[in-house]
Order: sequence, then structure tokens, then C-alpha cells
Amino acid sequence: MARRRAVAAVLSAATALSFSVACGTTSENSGQSQDSGGNAKECGGPDGKYTIGMSQANVAEPYRQRMDDDIKAAAEKVPQFSVEFADAQQDNAKQVSDVENFLTKQIDLLIISPNEATPLTSVVAKAYNKGIPVIVLDRKVDGDAYTTWIGADNVEIGRTAGEYVAKELLPDGGKVGEIRGLAGATPAKERGDGFREGIKGKNIEIVQSVDGDWLREKGQSQADALFKAHPDIQVLYAHNDPMAEGAYLAAKAAGIEKNMKFIGIDGLPIPSGGLKAVEQGRLSATLIYPTAGKEAVDTAKKLLVDCQDVPKEQTLETELITIDNAATVYNEANS
Amino acid sequence: MDDAVNPLVEMIGISKSYGGVRACRDLDLTVRAGEVHALLGENGAGKSTLMKVLSGDVTDHEGTITIDGVPRKFTAPVDAQRAGVAMIHQELDLVPELSVAENIFLGRELRTRLRTVDRRRTNQVTRGLLERCGVALDPRRPVGELRTGEQQLVTIAKALSLDARVLIMDEPTSALSSVEVEQMFTVISELRRAGAGIVYISHRMDEIGRIADRATVLRNGAFVAEFDARELTAEAAAEAMVGRPVQAMFRTRDVEPGEEILRVTDLALTPRRERSGRREPDGISLSVRRGEIVGIGGLLGSGRTELLETLYGAGSAGTLRGEILFRGKPFHPRGARQSLRGGMALVPEDRRIAGLSLEHSVTANTVLSIVDRISKAGFVPRATETGAVRRITGELKVKLSSVGDAVGTLSGGNQQKVVFGRMLLTEPVLLLLDEPTRGVDVGAKAEIYQLLGEAAQQGIGVLLASSELAELVGVCDRVVVLSGGRSVRELDTRQAGEADLLAASMGEGSAALAVDVSGGDA
Amino acid sequence: MTSEVTTKDTGSEPAPPPRKGRSRTDFVSALFRFQSLFGLVAVFVVAVVFSPRHNGELLFLNADNLANVVRAVSEIGIIAVGMTFVILVGGIDLSVGAVLGLAAVGSAVLMVNDGSGVFVTVVLVLLIGLFFGFLQGIASALFGIQAFIVTLAGMQIARGLARIWSGGQGVAIAYGDDAGEAPVAFSLLGERTFNGLVPIPALIFAVVAIVAIVFLRTTAFARHVYAIGGNEKAARLSGVPVIRVKVIVFCICGFLAALAGIVHAGQLNQGSPNDGFGYELDAIAAVVIGGTSLMGGRGSVVGTVAGALLLGVLNNFLGLHGVDPNVQLLVKGLVIVAAAGLQRLRPTAA
Repeated sequence: MARRRAVAAVLSAATALSFSVACGTTSENSGQSQDSGGNAKECGGPDGKYTIGMSQANVAEPYRQRMDDDIKAAAEKVPQFSVEFADAQQDNAKQVSDVENFLTKQIDLLIISPNEATPLTSVVAKAYNKGIPVIVLDRKVDGDAYTTWIGADNVEIGRTAGEYVAKELLPDGGKVGEIRGLAGATPAKERGDGFREGIKGKNIEIVQSVDGDWLREKGQSQADALFKAHPDIQVLYAHNDPMAEGAYLAAKAAGIEKNMKFIGIDGLPIPSGGLKAVEQGRLSATLIYPTAGKEAVDTAKKLLVDCQDVPKEQTLETELITIDNAATVYNEANS
Repeated sequence: MDDAVNPLVEMIGISKSYGGVRACRDLDLTVRAGEVHALLGENGAGKSTLMKVLSGDVTDHEGTITIDGVPRKFTAPVDAQRAGVAMIHQELDLVPELSVAENIFLGRELRTRLRTVDRRRTNQVTRGLLERCGVALDPRRPVGELRTGEQQLVTIAKALSLDARVLIMDEPTSALSSVEVEQMFTVISELRRAGAGIVYISHRMDEIGRIADRATVLRNGAFVAEFDARELTAEAAAEAMVGRPVQAMFRTRDVEPGEEILRVTDLALTPRRERSGRREPDGISLSVRRGEIVGIGGLLGSGRTELLETLYGAGSAGTLRGEILFRGKPFHPRGARQSLRGGMALVPEDRRIAGLSLEHSVTANTVLSIVDRISKAGFVPRATETGAVRRITGELKVKLSSVGDAVGTLSGGNQQKVVFGRMLLTEPVLLLLDEPTRGVDVGAKAEIYQLLGEAAQQGIGVLLASSELAELVGVCDRVVVLSGGRSVRELDTRQAGEADLLAASMGEGSAALAVDVSGGDA
Repeated sequence: MTSEVTTKDTGSEPAPPPRKGRSRTDFVSALFRFQSLFGLVAVFVVAVVFSPRHNGELLFLNADNLANVVRAVSEIGIIAVGMTFVILVGGIDLSVGAVLGLAAVGSAVLMVNDGSGVFVTVVLVLLIGLFFGFLQGIASALFGIQAFIVTLAGMQIARGLARIWSGGQGVAIAYGDDAGEAPVAFSLLGERTFNGLVPIPALIFAVVAIVAIVFLRTTAFARHVYAIGGNEKAARLSGVPVIRVKVIVFCICGFLAALAGIVHAGQLNQGSPNDGFGYELDAIAAVVIGGTSLMGGRGSVVGTVAGALLLGVLNNFLGLHGVDPNVQLLVKGLVIVAAAGLQRLRPTAA
């Protein structure tokens, strides 16, 4: 019994100690305040200092690493901004926690590239309803509880890819294998739908679609199975460059890479990116998917510093890259 | 001889405390070359600590150790080994997966010129060692396949290979059959002749009388008395260990047996899968009446444990032939749970492996078999539980400071009593016991025999398997002798003595059950 | 009688068995028994003292933040409670994360695609979890296959079933009365009560934990569980129905994993076949940090809850400081090793 009392004493002493440090500075927080949302906060103007929270879905993907880098580079040019980065490592629950932590730290603006649409919707809405401007990048959330969405038109991109295949690669028809991005993320669906629009009416058949989850290793292993099941595939369409490269490796291991053409999406201007891959002949084509990092910071500046409004949706342009323009585009992007 | 003046081992003024507990108080011990010196005492008396000091396992102690006239200060067991001290533990420290030879040379493997392990030479040397011990074993066999007795001989061979001058043997015969005990004694004689000094820790008075020269008794960490081992009686030893006169070791048999509670006819088990090292019943017949204590004797490997396990329903899976009548009705052993419900309880052979959960409290262990019975709507009423535990531990005189203590802190004898208590709480009519006093000191042994007597008086039938001849002859009314899984003889202990029992176990029949009481009333 | 006797008698009464050292050893052993609680308090204090500040306010102690912490650990906590039972009995269940995913998918599909009501869905999904645990229990306890192997296979099977049932994709849950929408009542799981402060999942976790704690302290079944973990052979010989108890314990674990899956679906408004990936390791971490021995027979749900909260506070503290998530993994690993190491230092029974 004395033992239990001793333990209880120590526990309560420790708790008392920690609360004495806190000393009554906890603030009231009654949860969600149902504002009109959006710019309910006063625009601080050029004199304020602003903290931006950037919640990324998965930094392990090169595209997203580039997105973070673009944001960082752009923010450095704005003296009023400091940016904090969080990486959810492809875990929805973790990304929710990341955003919640940002809210606790009372950031002034949230940029988020959600891992999946539905699971992140309510926490994004929570931020928005508190009066914090929210910029959603690349993937969407459900509903409209956000300030603006910036991204490229994935349907358009898919369509362009499909049209390229129909016109240049398989003018007489043929067989296509597809490696899709993470199911549940809107880009995967849209890139798939767009592609199908692009090849409509032509004699082109998608023999099988597999899930690559945006990852190179998964793309490789899935492609491996795909080629074994369908050795007569002529074109491999992957929803991003890493998966396309993975498929190339799988084909090379099987000795059949000369028999087919590979198409990816992203076109990152980095040494391991799609532009180089096209330049070096591994991919036949890729489509630029802008990271929207720079545009996000520009929008943030408009909202916080210039006190302007921004449109609900900002669509960015894409560009088809083949061996003809790969090198030039790369050099331009890195100048 | 000047050995008495220059003993091989001289320990003077050894003191050691653990926290507030004085394990050794100013102890002196001398061992002469060529002597077997027995060390006696209850568990906790200080024997093991004293030997840990001698073997280098305990290094911060007061007092001095002198070996062969040279004062020694050990900082690790390996120091003691280098000084020629070898410790043979009660718990064999052998690796079951390795062979006999590999175990013996563990840590000091013989190597070839290429620095690889020289298996041929290892096996060769081992063979020689084993021959010196009079043991016929293949040095390549994995130790795990050997019987406990054979494993014990391997540890002794290992000590021999270390060229030990001083051997410490802790309960070396507790798991040996009579034949193996003889083998062990041969080895010990050999060692004596070679001039080694042996400290022999044991509770078996008959062995001490045979093999030891002097016997020292410890109590509560202090020296009590030194005896001439050949003349020491069990009563004198017990009295010295406990500090007060001890009642007669074995019970007086004055109970009128009642109705028959168990009748086994031609019991045989064909196991579904052969398990090495087991001797399944192959034709056993016996009976037990209320109030009777029936012993099951036989050499190691004759099938005693397997018989009890089979009756209890904890034996090997397979087809059972023959008939078991329990409480007058046909009985099909299905499992411990059913047996307990029917009134049959088993106290298993090795309490640490199969009897107790050492980390759990005395209460938890004692009440385990009846939690279901005493619980209401699935909840265990604490008062009933503690009441039952206090009552039974009081009745059995279990020495403990609190029923909440972990059962592993109790001495061997008290641990055994806890297992008893658990079984007695189920209110059995038939009590099966497998080696109930193994590793139990003399004082507790006597108490356990008392308890068995009381159980018999209350009308419980007892079936007791044991390898200790004195125990069988002294405690049981009758002894059924097993050999090769069969019941071969039945002896009435009023007429038969230990020698007859041994003879029957080895298969030598003697027509006349002579009234030669050798042992029995030690 | 005897000749040549030398006697040095030191008293005639046998001394009582040695009492353990005084209050110092008592305190130390109490320290170990409640190591997870002390650890939790220690981490909590560190988090408070080193909390980032904003306008003079300690962010860590912000009520919303603390609510977030508890909410974030609720699912792992529920799973860990079930895992505690299995580990106590000497087993392990690696399939809990996958069963969570299966349950999340099931909840979504049943309500959205099949139009089932909340009650029916919940009952069905819980039964699925229970049955899954039942099968694993039978395989390991009755057929003697090691629990590690059985539940490793179970993990793959549950993932596969989740993939099949969901059609390979996440099933989004929208609330409403139309077809293809789930009953609004289910969205309660994402809400907070008591002034919008206490998250519902935390309440569920608390209830589960309290029930489990009381259960393990007072029932005969719990005695059987501890006995099997302490010494299975001895338990069997003492009449404990070992197989039955083990199967039931696996059922409990599967049931709670399914419950966590339902909560997960309600929180994220989606049931996806990848849900719960890796949760089994976090649950085991919570159990180990809580002081339950992986060998079985020793431990408590109180410890597990403390372990789960400790990990939650740690994650939150590191997150608030913007620590790289890979470093967070490192820290988590070190904490687990430290907790397991502390267990070894426990003063063992003399």
C-alpha cells in the first residue's frame, strides 16, 4: 500500500510540476468556428511576417521533392515568408496529424498536396473554417472548403498522351499496357480517363492496367508481371516517369525493351527525371507536369501580402516532350 | 598425513551479504586432497553462496581462499577454473543441440593447424575421458538426446577434462537412476584416488554415508556442526539443519485402506507418433485404495512418469488399450481439466518446468486449478481466493513472507508445497505424485511425508512415483515395480526393503522377500 | 551417535525467511512495475518544458493539441489492447493492421455500396474481425502452428480480402440519405463531444481500455491467460483449458482490430485496402513499452495505454518541432529498445 501511495505521489508531483511550468497559459479553443471561411482573417499586408505550413504527401516521390524544392526556392525570394515542411510518407492519418500540428502552431497559410482526397477533406476544411487560407496543390480534396486549387489538367495530359500514342506510335492500332498511380488519388483517375479519350475510336487496346502507386520499384515489379502475361504489348503508358522507368528496367531484364515504347508523365528537370530519360532514349515521350510550387508561393503572396483575391482554380499548362525538345526544355528549366 | 595440516582447499572467515540478508557469516571450510566433503543445509542456509565464492561466481566477499597453500583472489569464474576449481551445477549447463564432445570442449575447442576445429581429435579425447568415467557414450551424439543421468555424467567428464583439483558437485544424483549413481560413485572414487578434493552437496543421507568422509552442516549462513559422514544419521543431520529435533522421517502406517479407487488392468499405449526418450505403458496393472499410498518404482526410463501422465490424460496421443476403473467406473483419460473435475490430481515431476509459474505470486499459482470453481459469474472473489490460499499454505506450513510474493523466491521444498496445495484445493480422491521430494531438503522432505500421511488418513488414495528407494520403502504401503513399461513385481513394504526393491527394479527376482531392513527407517 | 563433532551453535530457532531490503528496493521495484507510467510522465514533462511557444502560450498544452494527440493514438491504442491479450498468452498477432484495413473497407462497402444501416454494418464487421481471429486462434492453438507464422499469413490474407472486397481502390464515404451514401450517424466517429474537445475515437479507446483493465484484474479467464503465459505446461496440468483460452484471446484481438477499422473509416471517411499498413508494429511497440513481456505471463493493459500515449506524445512533440519524419522513426525505435532494455534490468525475484 505504501508503495502505491509513493507512486501516486511521484506521478502527481510530476504532473503538478509540468503544469506549473505551463502556469495557466493554455488558451481556450472551442473547436471549429463556423466562419464564412476564406479571408475571414485580416490581410496582414507587406509589414507582417508570415509562417506557411507545407504538408506534403510523400517526399520519397521525386516529383514531390521537386515541388517542395520549388516552394522553398520561391519563398526565399519573399522576405515576409518562412515555410515549414511536413512529410506524411504516404500515410493519410499522418498527414491529418501534420495539418493538425500546423494548426496548433498557428500558421498563417496552409499549402497542401493531399495523399488522398477524401481522408484529408475534413482536416483541410477545419483549417479553412478557422480563417486560414488553404492552397491545394496537384491533387484535389472533396467539396470546396479551400481557397484555391492549383494544378495541371490531368485529363488533358492523359488525352495528349493518348493522342500521341494514336498518331505517332501506333497509327495502325496496337496493344497498350497501363501502369496506374495510387488508386484514390484524383490524378491517377484523370490521367487514365484522359488517355482513354485520346485513343478513342482508334484501333488501340489497353490489354491490362496495374497499380504502381507512383513508385518506381512497384512499377518495375508490376511491369514484370504485366509483360509476362502480355508479351505482345507495344506501348507502355505509365502515369508517372518513375513507374515508366521501372517498367523499362523490367523490360530490359527480360530482354524485350527494344520491342516497346515507354511513356511517362512528370518531366522533371532533374538528372534522374523524365526529361533526361527521353533525351537518353529510354522513354519515347513524357508530359511536363508542373509542380505548381512557384505558383503556390505567388498565390500566397497575393493573399497575404498584396491582399488580393485569387480564382478558385488555377490550371497550369503542360507540354509534350519527345526526343526533339527534351534537351532544350531541360536546359531552360535549370537556367 | 600432512593433508590435515596442509589441506587442498582452505576457506576462512567467508562472509557475504545481499542487501540486508547475510548469506554467509564467517564460514570456515577445509577440503583435503582425496577427500569427499559433504555440505548439508536447508535451502537458503548458505551452501550455494559459499560454493559460488569458491568457484569464482561471487567475487566481492570477505574472507580468504587458499588452494594448495596459495592464497587466491578470484575476479571471475575463469580464475577459479584456472586454479583448478570446477563447479558442476544442479541445472546442467549443456547445449542440447551440440554433441557430447562439442559440449565438453565448449569454449576451448581443439584446433588443427589450419585453425579449424579438429573434430577427430576432439571425439578421440572425449572417448578417452568417457572411458575413464566408465561411461559408454558416443561422443558425437547430441546431448539433448541423452537421458538426464547421462547428461550429468557428461558434465562430470567435462570437469575431468578441465583437470580440476577441486570439484564442487551440487545435487549430482538427483536425476540419476541407481545404476547411474553407481557409475557416478566410481568416477568419484577415481577422482579421489587422483588426489582431488570434492565438495558434495546433497540431501541423500544414504549416499553421503557411502561416499563422503566428513559432513558439514550450515544453517542461516552460519556453521553449525561437522560430522563424520559415515556415522551420521538422517535424524542428526536433520536436527542440525533445522535446529530442533525432527520427527521421524517416515510415517507410521496405521490407516485402514477403504474402497478401491483406482484399478488399472493391462494398460498399454500405442503412441500416434514415436517420441524418443519415452517409455509408454506397455502392460501395467495396479490398484489403489482409499487411504493407501502405493509407490511406483523402477529404474530410470522404466515408464513411471509416462504411466502417471497417461492416467491423468497428459500423456502422448495414441490408442489406449486395457482398462482403467476410477471410482468404480470406466475412465477414459481426456485431459487434466477433466481428470481434476473427476477428482484425480497430479503433482508433476519437475515443478519448474511443469508445475509453477515462477514469476507469479503464490496466490496465483496456488489457486489456479480452482479459479473456475470459486468464481461467480466469471469474477474471482478476492476474499475467497485469499482465504483459500492462506488456509492451505498454513496447513502445509509453507514458509513465506506474503502470499503475494513471487513463487520463485521460495525454497525448493516450499515451492513443492505450493504445487501440492494447488492440487489439494481441488479436493481430489486420488493424488498422483511424480518425484515429489526431488531437490527438497531434509526438513521439508519430512514435512511432505507428513502431508502424504495426513492425506491418506483423510481417505485420499496416493500413487507415488519415485526413484528414491528409501522414500518408496519408507512412505508407501506397497510398491509396484515397473520395467520396460510393464508392471513386473509388487512388493509389500512391511516385508521388503530397499535391496529387494532395487533387485526387483533390475529384473533380478528373489524368491524370498527377506526381512532385511536396510534403510527404511534411516 | 556421532563422534568428532565440532559445534558452533548460533541460535536454536530457525530465522524467518529473509525479508527483501527496505523501502529503497521497494521503490525501485515499483519504479519498474510502473515503468511505462513514469516514462509517460517523463516524456510529457519534457514535451511541456520544451514545447514551442507562440505569443507566450505553450503550444503543446493547447487543449486542441492534446485532444489531437489522444485522437491520433486511439486506433493504435484499441489494437494494442487486443494485442496485449495475445502477447500475455505468449503469442503474437501480426495481422491486426490488415484486419483493420479489411474492417475499414467492409464498413465503407457495406454502407455505401450495399446500403446497410450503421448497426448492421458495425455488427457484421465486428463479427468478421472476430471470426478472423477465431480462425487464426484455431490454426495456432489447435494445430500448433506458431502464432507468428499463422498471423503473418493472416496478414496477407486479410489484405487480399480487403483488396478484393474494395475492388482494389479506396471506397469513399459520403453521408446522406441517397443511394450510395452512408447513414449520417456513422459520421459521429469523426466528431468531438464535450464542447467539441473530446474526440469520439478517444472515448471508444477509453471505454475499451477500462473494460480490459477491469477484466484482466478480476476474472477467472484472466487468471488462465496469465497462467498460460507464465508456464503453459503447468497451466495445462493444472486444468486450464489452454486451447480454448488461446482461441478466445485471438478472437478478442481480431474483434478489437475490426473495431479500430470501423473507427478508422469513420475518421477518414474512406475505407481503403491499404489502411492500417504497419499498425501492428506500432501496437506491439505500445505493448512492449508498456512493460508487457513478449514471453508472456507478465504485463497489463494499463502499461499498454501508457505506452501508446507515450508514443503519441513523442510523435506530437517531434512533429511540433518539425523534426524530419525519418528521425522520428529513429527516436521511436530507440524508445522501444530502451523500454525493452529496462525490462531486463528489473530486479528479478531473489
